[in-house]
Amino acid sequence: MINTIAYGLTIGGILYIISIGLSLTFGTMRIVNFAHGLIYAIGAYLLITLLPVARNNFILGAFLAVLAIIPISYIIERFVVRKLYGVSIDYAIIATYAVVLIGVDLIKWIWGSSPIPLSDPVGIDVAFLGITLPLYRLIIIALAVIIFIGLAIFFKKTMVGKIVTAALEDKDAVRSLGINVDKYFAYIFVIGSCLAALGGVLYAPITSVHPYMGSMVLLLSFAVVLVGGLGNIKGTFVAAFALGMVMSVTGRLWGPAAETMVFVVMGIVLIFKPIEV
Amino acid sequence: MLSVTNIDASYGHAKVLHDISLEVNSGEMVFIAGRNGAGKTTLLKSIAGFLKPSTGSITFDGKSIMELPAEKIALSGIRYVFQDKRVFSQLTVKENLEIAAYPVKVSIADAIGRVVSIYPKIEKFLNLRAGTLSGGQRQILLIGRALIGDPKLLLIDEPTEGLAAGTINDILNVLSSMKGKVSMLIVEQNLSVVGMLADKVYMMKEGKIVQEVTDKAQMNNKIQLEQCL
Repeated sequence: MINTIAYGLTIGGILYIISIGLSLTFGTMRIVNFAHGLIYAIGAYLLITLLPVARNNFILGAFLAVLAIIPISYIIERFVVRKLYGVSIDYAIIATYAVVLIGVDLIKWIWGSSPIPLSDPVGIDVAFLGITLPLYRLIIIALAVIIFIGLAIFFKKTMVGKIVTAALEDKDAVRSLGINVDKYFAYIFVIGSCLAALGGVLYAPITSVHPYMGSMVLLLSFAVVLVGGLGNIKGTFVAAFALGMVMSVTGRLWGPAAETMVFVVMGIVLIFKPIEV
Repeated sequence: MLSVTNIDASYGHAKVLHDISLEVNSGEMVFIAGRNGAGKTTLLKSIAGFLKPSTGSITFDGKSIMELPAEKIALSGIRYVFQDKRVFSQLTVKENLEIAAYPVKVSIADAIGRVVSIYPKIEKFLNLRAGTLSGGQRQILLIGRALIGDPKLLLIDEPTEGLAAGTINDILNVLSSMKGKVSMLIVEQNLSVVGMLADKVYMMKEGKIVQEVTDKAQMNNKIQLEQCL
């Protein structure tokens, strides 16, 4: 059972790191960004490319991979997403899905279609309450908590954070004070994309890296965002770990239903707490 | 100062404003009165840059502002106080003022001082979440927030809507204290308020200005004003 909980927390941690960016862009821009899953996959592939450059130092490789996402995400924001502000949500779905199709083909062209395995960068197990757990998974859980605290401080203490918090509630009121909200949304998009890439980097050693790895994780992230509330940092944190636990416990009882149960929970939450998009 | 000339504006295919023209001079307090659906809010939104008119021109201090985005219009000296008392409810009162002070490079101390100058009681609420304020306090916070950076023109939408009589007096005191120091274009349905404060009134009906009233006696005559609508 402890193993199940540990697995649930790991999935929750990864889901949080990926979903919070999606939640912030969905919450601020009201844009359904399918390209978020692509960025997650590109993060993992960049890690594979940059690890030799970093002499197999995982931390340096991960840092470089996340850094390399900044210009990529900026280009997507500047030339695709920014043109979708204020237009019907359907256009955002079509345009960002087109980015995914182009991106996945580029991944296949550059890195090939075959899954690429990556080994546990820490390679140490720790004994805990009578079971052994990979230390790497505990690090992921700790990182998710650190990111949650860091984002909470960022939104509470920095001017960018306060402006985005205000814009989440009332974008036009922020504009009426002379603030170019789109500029701050671009920052948030890039931060969210970096977190998605970090999620891909961290999850790569647990799963295999393949061109479509972003698809399922994106759907799970949407479930987290809808359960946690658009742009809600605390809600996303709680929802990510809760749904991670749902996946883990369901997977233990009946493996094939693990991911389906996440969407069942999402459906139940939406019945009682519908969202306005 | 502000000159609106022959503007039309639409939401999709629905034309809401028809050939609107008005003037606000320096230091003037101008009201727009009319029933619900007359197009008053649409007119303010068009001036503030949230809705682009299809024809006509809007100039401010002699320069066309019609093609500018809302944030640039705000920085040019026009601040829009929305209807419905839309404070940033998750942030404190002080943080609301901080956000207003940031783009105009005013220190938070000066920003607080500016709002305290029109409503000293706000000092007690600075660390409260803005969402916990009463309707009147929210309205004063919004007006105070808009004053930071000393704009030349305030566009205020329905400042007394939904407020109790006592609270309306607070708003009237705030608006009176600003009279002559900053130009104001105010949408207001309460004709008693209009009569007390206005230098000029534009009466709107079905998206058109049906009458411009500059005679003080006529402004104070509610029945006569209502007959215009």
